[in-house]
Amino acid sequence: MSEFCLTPQLQLSVEQFYYLEARLLDSRQYQQWFELVSEDLRYIVPSRVNVMVNNRDRGNEDMISIERELEGAESEGCPIREEGYLQMMIRVERAYKMNSWSENPPARTRRLVSNVEILADEDNVLSVISNFHMHYARPGNDNYLYAGQRRDTLRRVDSSYKIAHREVVLDYANIDYPTIGLFF
Amino acid sequence: MLVNVCELVNDDATLVSRRCWTDRDVYELEKKGIFGKAWLFLGHDSQIKERGDFVQAYMCETPIILARGSDNEVYASINSCTHRGLPVCRADHGNTKRFVCPYHNWSYTVEGELVTIPQERELKSRPDKSLLGLKQVPRLESWRGFYFGSFDKNIIPLEDYLGDQRYYLEAFLDRFEGGIEFVGAPHRWVIEANWKLPMENQLGDVNHGPFLHAAVIPPEANQEIIDYGLSAVTEAGHGATFRLMPENAPIDDVAWGMEAPGSILGGPEVHDYLRATQAKAEERVGALRARMKGLTYGVYPNLSFLWSNASFKVSHPRGPGKVEYWSWSVVPADAPEEIKKTLRTNYTSLFGPGGILEQEDSEVWSQQFRGSNFDFADDRPYFYGLGLNEERPHPDLPGMVDVTANEHYARAFFTRWRDALLAVEK
Repeated sequence: MSEFCLTPQLQLSVEQFYYLEARLLDSRQYQQWFELVSEDLRYIVPSRVNVMVNNRDRGNEDMISIERELEGAESEGCPIREEGYLQMMIRVERAYKMNSWSENPPARTRRLVSNVEILADEDNVLSVISNFHMHYARPGNDNYLYAGQRRDTLRRVDSSYKIAHREVVLDYANIDYPTIGLFF
Repeated sequence: MLVNVCELVNDDATLVSRRCWTDRDVYELEKKGIFGKAWLFLGHDSQIKERGDFVQAYMCETPIILARGSDNEVYASINSCTHRGLPVCRADHGNTKRFVCPYHNWSYTVEGELVTIPQERELKSRPDKSLLGLKQVPRLESWRGFYFGSFDKNIIPLEDYLGDQRYYLEAFLDRFEGGIEFVGAPHRWVIEANWKLPMENQLGDVNHGPFLHAAVIPPEANQEIIDYGLSAVTEAGHGATFRLMPENAPIDDVAWGMEAPGSILGGPEVHDYLRATQAKAEERVGALRARMKGLTYGVYPNLSFLWSNASFKVSHPRGPGKVEYWSWSVVPADAPEEIKKTLRTNYTSLFGPGGILEQEDSEVWSQQFRGSNFDFADDRPYFYGLGLNEERPHPDLPGMVDVTANEHYARAFFTRWRDALLAVEK
């Protein structure tokens, strides 16, 4: 891990950025949210697999590490989502069309972002992890709670940030949610 | 038995009862008459390449371990300990020498033979372990690397069961010199829907595309389906939809994958690869099939293939109102690794539980279950009559063929479905 000076100002500015992002998403202001995204965006939701425990790893943290369960962008497996700026633009545009049926009525979400931990800050590129709980209400009485971790690469632009890379690690086995197609 | 099967689907299957989708008794008949009698897809060669490799699968609600044994043969065992019934395998896939039951540590080989009963050391009598292995799926056969199992030991051979549907499957599978491979673990998601609707959707219902998916699918894509789209039914229960492109169509209009996200976002290497594959298509699958640009397929009862975005799917029932949908990306096995990763996005960009397109499907499938699962509307069965008797034999293609708006694929499916239930009704 590179050496950097974690100041209260830095922590505050990243947290404020995430709070702004959460408010825009929960307010369905996806077009404004999209301004926070870098054009070289990579947005990955890895698959979460039930893997074989390796006998050789007994007694080690590696035995049950989360990384072993993930089929992400660099894996030879199949992520749930692997998107760039274009796919995200389609999602943003879709949200404002009459026939985006799985969001009709539109998503009612409320998210809490916390445990914001800045891991690196070098050449105006920050590596940040955060946790989220997101409440998602469907028409009728179907309500869901999504829980996960976001592993972000943020780029410092002027006095704010742009999301360049986001990996969303969701905590599920089989997916028992109506959609993983939301903005996390 | 409260249901009368004859009342669920009328003679020509133009009317299908709401109870087909919701009734617990109907579901029990389906388990017996369909899932107990059909060939069911278990897995693909590419998932179990090495000795000791295994993947989990399901035959309806019954958990199966598909494994390559130490003798290099493939075995399909029911994942349930002979002692107290627990699953002996908990991982989705992997490689192992033994499956061990957590409860009393009875252990089994990957082939399913019982090798250890720890308790017997303290006892005078020794049970005959050769009789206590994991129950084997009675029939296991493969075609083009696809393994299917059946609970019916008298079922016809798999190749006969697939019949002329093989012609359409080969049109994709045989294009690639090294065959195809399944990418990683399947996406698995639970949908509050009946298992038959995801199946029907891929069996031939491309007609929902321009309507349900209008937010994302451009109108030009639909025009090509109107101009060249065909729906073929070789045998009731199977179905294939595709565009039969004109003989003089430019290669980029015909080649598999050119229309999908991997190509649109990929670089010249991807385009070159797809064109080179298409250039060999005529030699590999013949002139007619080289012009086929597939859409969606179904193999009775619950396997689907989405050619355009290279994905195989299984609709696993979990009761009348719940599906565990499994879905794999497939890529040409001999493509370079980087191209495989790009081609994988043909599927991941649009399909799966978060797919821009498929999230819409999951939504309507569950809404259809809601629309079926209430009282006082049984005098309004669903209308399946679009294009009745308009399908015809085709001079060059196997099966009955018509435009994709003809719902003959669904009428044929429900005819076979009704007959399968009638056979076990008593």
